[in-house]
Amino acid sequence: MKLSYQWLNKYIDLRGKSASDIEDALTMIGFEVEGVDETGLPPLENVVVGEVVSRDQHPNADRLSVCEVRIDDEGNTRRIVCGAQNHKVGDRVPVALVGAVLPGNFKIKKSKLRGEVSEGMMCSARELGAGDDAAGLLILEQRPPPGMPINEVFPDNDTIFDVEITPNRPDCLSHVGIARELAAVFGLDLLYPELKHNFDDHGTASPDVFCKLTVESDDCPFYTAHVIRDVRVGPSPDWLQRDLRAVGLRPINNVVDITNYVLLELGQPLHAFDAAKIKDRRLIIRQALEGEKIVTLDEKERALHPRMLVIADVEKPLVVAGVMGSVDAAVDEETVDVVLESAHFRTQSIRWTSRRLGLGSDSSYRFERGIDPGNVVFAAQRAADLILDIAGGQLAGPVMTCGGVTSIRNEIHLTRPYLSNRCGFEIEDSKVEEIFSALELSATSRINDRQETEWTVEVPSFRSDLDSPIDLVEEVIRINGTNNIPAAPVTSTGLERRDDPVYRFNAKASSYLVGQHFAECLNYSLRSGDELKAWFSQAAADKCALANPLSSDQTHLRWSLIPGLLDNLKLNQSRKTGLKRIFECGHIFRERDGVLYEMAAVGFLISHDERSRSWRTPAKPDFYTAKTILASLAQLAGHRLGDDLRPVSGSISAWLEGHSAEAGDLMESFEARMGLLDPQFLSVHDVEGDVIAGILEIRLDKVADDGEIRRFTPFSLFPAAERDLALLADANEPAETVRQKLAGAAAKSCGDAFSVEEVRVFDLYEGKGMPEGKKSLGFTLIFRSPERTLTDGEVNAAFTATRQLMAEAGYETRQ
Amino acid sequence: MDETLQALIDKAAKQVDGVKTRAEFEAFKARFVGPAGELTAAMKRIATLPKEEKPAFGKRINEAKQALESLFDDCLRAISRDELAARIGPPVDVTLPAPGDPHPGSLHPLTQVRDEICRIFRQIGFSVAEGPEVETEYFCFDALNTPADHPARDLQDTYYFPESAKFGNISKNGTERNLLRTHTSSVQIRTMLKEEPPVRIISPGRCFRRDTADATHSANFHQVEGLCVDKNVSVKDLKALLDYFIKSLLGADARTRFRPHFFPYTEPSFEVDFASSHLAKVGSKWIEIAGCGMVHPSVFESVGYDPETYSGYAFGMGIERIAMILHGVDDIRYFYQNDHRFLKQFA
Repeated sequence: MKLSYQWLNKYIDLRGKSASDIEDALTMIGFEVEGVDETGLPPLENVVVGEVVSRDQHPNADRLSVCEVRIDDEGNTRRIVCGAQNHKVGDRVPVALVGAVLPGNFKIKKSKLRGEVSEGMMCSARELGAGDDAAGLLILEQRPPPGMPINEVFPDNDTIFDVEITPNRPDCLSHVGIARELAAVFGLDLLYPELKHNFDDHGTASPDVFCKLTVESDDCPFYTAHVIRDVRVGPSPDWLQRDLRAVGLRPINNVVDITNYVLLELGQPLHAFDAAKIKDRRLIIRQALEGEKIVTLDEKERALHPRMLVIADVEKPLVVAGVMGSVDAAVDEETVDVVLESAHFRTQSIRWTSRRLGLGSDSSYRFERGIDPGNVVFAAQRAADLILDIAGGQLAGPVMTCGGVTSIRNEIHLTRPYLSNRCGFEIEDSKVEEIFSALELSATSRINDRQETEWTVEVPSFRSDLDSPIDLVEEVIRINGTNNIPAAPVTSTGLERRDDPVYRFNAKASSYLVGQHFAECLNYSLRSGDELKAWFSQAAADKCALANPLSSDQTHLRWSLIPGLLDNLKLNQSRKTGLKRIFECGHIFRERDGVLYEMAAVGFLISHDERSRSWRTPAKPDFYTAKTILASLAQLAGHRLGDDLRPVSGSISAWLEGHSAEAGDLMESFEARMGLLDPQFLSVHDVEGDVIAGILEIRLDKVADDGEIRRFTPFSLFPAAERDLALLADANEPAETVRQKLAGAAAKSCGDAFSVEEVRVFDLYEGKGMPEGKKSLGFTLIFRSPERTLTDGEVNAAFTATRQLMAEAGYETRQ
Repeated sequence: MDETLQALIDKAAKQVDGVKTRAEFEAFKARFVGPAGELTAAMKRIATLPKEEKPAFGKRINEAKQALESLFDDCLRAISRDELAARIGPPVDVTLPAPGDPHPGSLHPLTQVRDEICRIFRQIGFSVAEGPEVETEYFCFDALNTPADHPARDLQDTYYFPESAKFGNISKNGTERNLLRTHTSSVQIRTMLKEEPPVRIISPGRCFRRDTADATHSANFHQVEGLCVDKNVSVKDLKALLDYFIKSLLGADARTRFRPHFFPYTEPSFEVDFASSHLAKVGSKWIEIAGCGMVHPSVFESVGYDPETYSGYAFGMGIERIAMILHGVDDIRYFYQNDHRFLKQFA
C-alpha cells in the first residue's frame, strides 16, 4: 500500500521525523517498507527565487558569466559566477545562498572562481533534486517573487512509502490506520478528521429522488446510503488531486475522488451512485441471478454467478458489491443527485467474487481482509462532509440503513505472570499500560484472586485481529521494540530422541556415493505426463496427476529419479562437462493396486561411452557395477539385496532386457532396479553412450532405525578347509539356483560334525568344449569347525558326499 | 688359497652372469654345492689329506663356500628383482591422469547447506524429524490455525490432487484434499501428535508452491523448520536461539533483528533479518533470512497440548535462499540444472 508523508501529516505531526525514521519505525512494528519514493523537491533551506539583474562576461574565463541576482523583494542582490548559458537578464531562477545544502550534501560557500567572488549558486533542476535536467538553469517561467523559498514554488515535495500490510491488519490499509501506529511508536498525538457538518440535522432538501433500500442477502450485514442533492460535479481541488496522485490514483471528478480519498484515509470503501440512474429509486442488495451480466467500470462485460453479491435497481445490477461499479450508474458531469453507499460485506463473499471474476480493486482488497464495521457510518459522513464542502449540494433526509453493526464487546484478560512468562523478560506495568493506551486499547488493571496484576483490555472494533492474551503479548513486544528483547545464551537440556531414519540413511547413502565419485544432483519432483506415459504407462500417469498444475512440463509426481538424472546427464553431455557419475536422493511415488506410496529413493547413473578416449581403457561398468552399489545402499538402509533378483517387470521399457533386474517388494519394504538402460530408448532421449543405472526405493516407515544394540557373535579361530568344484548346469539356469542347491548338499554332507561356512561362485565358463546348452560354474566351498582343525579325511568325505548329492540332482562334475 | 678352489670361484663368478631365471639359478647352484657339485667334490677331498693339513684346508673350503654363497645371494636377489619388475611393469608416469579420469564425488550445495543448518541445531539438542511431501489439508493448514478460506490455501498458490487420488502412507478424513506440502510445518504437527513435550525438532525437507519459475522462484524448494515446546519457553529464548544460529552460520560478527510479522500459526510472529560485513556482496544491509514466532495456542490445542502449561517457538527458513546468500548464487535455477561446472565448485 502506498502512503504519502504529506497526507499522513494531516493526522500526526511528523515534521520532526525524517523519511528514514519513518521507514525504520514502520519496518520495526511489522509494516515492511518495500520502497521509498521521493517526489518533488526535498526540503531545502536557503534556496530562494532570484532574478538575474545583470549578466557580464567573466574577465578570466570564456565560459563563465558574472551575474548580479536579486534575492528578495527589498532589492538585495548577490554576485554569482555561473557556468550556465541559458539565462538572460530578467529571468527568475532558483538560487542556493551561502549556507544552503543541496542534495548530495553539496554545501554552498562563499568562494572565488577564477578570481571573481561568488556568493551562491544558480541551480539546474537536477542540482535541486527535482529531475534529471542538468542542461542549464531551471528558468522559473511562472515568475514567482524573488526571495520566495523554493519549496513554496514547488510545494509538491512528498515521500511515498510503499508498505506491506500483513493480512491480519486490515485496519492499517489507510492513512489514519498507519498514522495511529506511528503515533503509538513515536509517542505522538493522533488527530482524526473532523466533520464540518452536523449529520443529526438532515437538511431541508427532499430525499424523494431515492426512496428504498432492500437487502436480500446474508452477505451484507450492514448497508447505509446517504442522499446528497444538487451537487456540482467537476474537477477536484488541487489538494485532493495531489493527494490521490501522490499514491498513484488518477483524479476523475470531485465526487468519485472523495470516495477514493476516504477509502485511502479511513479504509472504508464507498460507492457513489448517480441517483438519476437508479431505476425506480430503489436499490436492492441481492445475489446475482443466473445468466446476469454487467459491464464494469473497466469496460469489460462480466458474467455474474449466483454466489456473487450485487447492488441492483429493479432492472439490473449496478455494482458488483464491494468489487467494482458498472458504467451504468457511475457519477459523471451530468450528475445532480448522489446516493452514497457505505457498507459492510462479508469477506468470504467478496474474496470469492473477486477471485472468480479475476477482478480486484482497492475496495475488494479491503473487504476481503475485513473492514471495521464500527467505521461504516463515520466514513460515509466524512465523505458526505467533503462532498458538501467541495461539490456543494445539500444532505437530503436522514441516512438510510439496512442491518446494523453486530458489535460483540471483545475483552481480553492478560495477567502479569503470563506476559512475563511469554516474553522471558520484564516490561514495567506503566510501560505496558502506555502501550495499550497508545494503541487505543482501553485497559483497566486489578489484582485478581491469585494476587496477580490482571489487565482487562477492551478491543476496539478496528482490531479484529486481537482476541486472546497472546495477541496482547505481541502488541506489547511490538511497540516496546524487538530491539529491546535482551540477548541471552541458549539453554538446552538433553533429549533422548534420534534423528529420523530416512535422514540418517540419506546421509549415509550420499556419503557412500560421493566416495564412489558420484556427484549429487537435485531435480524437480514434478514431471510431465508424457514422460510418465513413455516410461511407465498411461495408467501410471493418470494416478499421480495434479489437480491444478501450473506448467505443462510439471503436471505429475515423479515415479522415479532416473528420468531427472538422465536430463542432467544430457545437459552435461551437451555442455561437455565430462560428468559421468551422478546420483540423487529424494522422494518418489509408486503405485500398487490403485494406491500411491511415497518412498524414499536413491538413484544413480553411470554413463559409459566407448568413443570416449583414454590413454588406457578403464574398466567398463556393467550390470554388476550397479548391483554392487545397490547391495551397499540396501545394507545402509538396513535391508539386504536378496536372492530374488528377477527381470524388471511390468511395462517399464527403459531397462534393457537381459541386462537389468529388480528385487524386493514395495508392499514389504523396498524395491530395487538396476542394470543397463535400453540404448534404443535412450537414443530417443538424446543421451549418448551406454548408461548403467540403479535405484533403491524404500517405504518411508521401512528404513531401519538401527537403534538396536548389536551383540557380538563369536567365530571360529580354527583354520578353514577349502575345496573347489566345477558343475555343469543348464546354460539358462541362474547361478544362484545352483549355488543354493550346492550349499544345501554341502550342509547335508557335513552333518553335525562341522559346517560349510560359505559356498561361492568363482568361475563361469560357456562355449567351446561345453556340451550343447550347458555351462560350467566353478564353486569354492569353505569348511570349518568351531572347535578343532578339520582333518583332510573328514573334509574329503564330506566333499565327496556333496558331489554325489549334486550328481544325483543332475549336476555333473566337470573335471 | 688352493688354486683349485680359486678356479672354482672364478668359474662361478664367470657363469653367474648367464643365470637369469630361478630354474637356471637352481641348476647353477647345484653345479657347485649340489650333491654332485664341484665344491662338494672338493670338500670330499678333505678325507684324503694328512691330519695336519686338514684344518687349513677346511678353512679354505669354508672361505670358498662363503664366497659362493654371497655370489648365490646376489644372483637370487637380482633374479627376484627382475621377476618383480616383470610382474609390476615399468615405472609409471605419475603425471598421467588416472584412466577414465573420475571426478571426485560431490554433495549438492543445497544438501551441504541443509546439513550445516541441521548440524548447528543438532549441536544444541535438536533432532531431525521428517515427513511426507504429499500431505492432507489438516496437517498443512487446519492444524496450523490456517482457516479454510485463507489465501495460502488457494488453488492459485497450492498444488492439490484430485479427490480420487489415494496415498497409501497417509490417511485423510472425509472430503479433505491431498496436496503438496507448502512448508515442513506439517512435520511439526505429526511429531507433536506422536510425542509429548519437551519437543525439540528440526524438519528439513522439500516444499512446493505454485509459483512460476524464475531467478528466485522454483516449483519446489527446500526448507528447514524447527520447533521447541516446553514449559516456560519465551520470546527471549527464541531470540537467543536465532542469534546463536546466525552467528554459527554466518560468523561471529553477524547481527540479527526481529521484525514483527504475521503467520497464522505463530503469535507473536517475526521475520528475522541479519547483517554481516562478512559476506562481501551483502555488506551491512539487513537481509531477510527466516521467519519465526511463538507457537499459536490454537496449534497446541489441535495437537492436544495444554497451551497454559506449555509454550514454544517455531522457525523456518529456505535452504535455497540461504545457499544463494552464502555462496553468492544469483539464480535459483542453477541448483536444479546440475551443470557439473556448478556442482564441482562445492565439492
